[in-house]
Amino acid sequence: MSKKILVIDDDPNILDYLSALLTDHGYDTQVAPDAVKGLETARRFLPDLITLDIEMPGEWGPRFYRQMMQIKELKNTPVIVISGLSGNEHAIPKAVAAVKKPFDREELLRIVKEAVG
Amino acid sequence: MFKKILFATSATRASDHAARVAFNIARANQARLDIFHVLGVPSRGYSQVVVDIKTRERVDVDDDYMAWVKEEITTYYGDYLKNGLTYDIHVVVGLPAREILRRARETEPDLILLGGSTEAEHDAVYRKTVAGTTLQKVARSAKCPVMVVARPAASFWGGVSNITFGTDFSKASDKAFDFALKTAQALDCELNVFHALSVGSLSSDRLLSQDEIEQKIREKMRRIRARYEPRLKTLKHYNMEVWEGIPYMEIVKFAREKHSDLIVMAHHSRKLQTDDNVFGSNVEQVIVRAGCPVISINR
Repeated sequence: MSKKILVIDDDPNILDYLSALLTDHGYDTQVAPDAVKGLETARRFLPDLITLDIEMPGEWGPRFYRQMMQIKELKNTPVIVISGLSGNEHAIPKAVAAVKKPFDREELLRIVKEAVG
Repeated sequence: MFKKILFATSATRASDHAARVAFNIARANQARLDIFHVLGVPSRGYSQVVVDIKTRERVDVDDDYMAWVKEEITTYYGDYLKNGLTYDIHVVVGLPAREILRRARETEPDLILLGGSTEAEHDAVYRKTVAGTTLQKVARSAKCPVMVVARPAASFWGGVSNITFGTDFSKASDKAFDFALKTAQALDCELNVFHALSVGSLSSDRLLSQDEIEQKIREKMRRIRARYEPRLKTLKHYNMEVWEGIPYMEIVKFAREKHSDLIVMAHHSRKLQTDDNVFGSNVEQVIVRAGCPVISINR
């Protein structure tokens, strides 16, 4: 069974790109354009991994993460931060990785594979 | 919440994480931001030659040089200054702590915001921030709340929705609680009231037994409830907890566990520690270690 990945990012180009990239590599992928929809999707989809942007309209990534930690089914789900914001490795200390945009696709796939197996 | 913010900056990368917080808070509060830069210390008496804080070079300060520095700061923060932010840029010569406090007396801001150490080495933050630095002097003497963003990790990550207030049950802590409560009400966010029970160390004269520790935790918890809970009930979400350990470590750990975006604590003494061996007060240690901004309140 394919591993499930939820991509949360306010940039539609990133959503399209990551969705295509991850699907091509055998992952079952869903996307969300903001933190609120991300949380709704995460509750329903119960992903094995979440890639999370930091700076988004409305709620930023760290607030999504705090809410996600309060949901029993999601609190152990690994998160990879993908953001262009400087110092993004500090935004969510418990994230499994922080990737700076623009990112290298092979490097990202390696990190994803390590995170979900 | 804040109408006038004094942001003291070196306008270098060392202040970048504090700048992100300063500009975001100013924008969110539609506050006037006073961007304040102290050029450096006169090399002799009333000399116009200063050691520039940013470059460490000796420079002749005249009107042209001051204007050039202002222009450099405007360029450095160019992206933040767009879209209608109200701001001033002031550049002065002198000792940073003295000039920041002087500026605060003149302009009476609601908040002073400082970045971390300008030392290049990361460890220096821990060594130098403890005793006698700008940060310590300002935090101990300012009349208004002082927010310190000492680490990149403490930068702005999307707003304040969870506040940790650390108390030692002093009168100063009551003032800090007033501020934390008012902030939590204004921002409709969760407030954690936290006390760290100091349990000493293996080298201290007497170690508390676990039964004694747990007894003291229960006592402190009752004290928190009696002192703060009646007013906490005005909030939708609040927590009260007591942990044992080294107080500043426990506060930093607790705030991390709660994903707090702000720590509020009282700063007691206006006297400066000058002995390098003194590790500084708990609030100073929290300031340099926390993963979120820390607001220190001393009166």
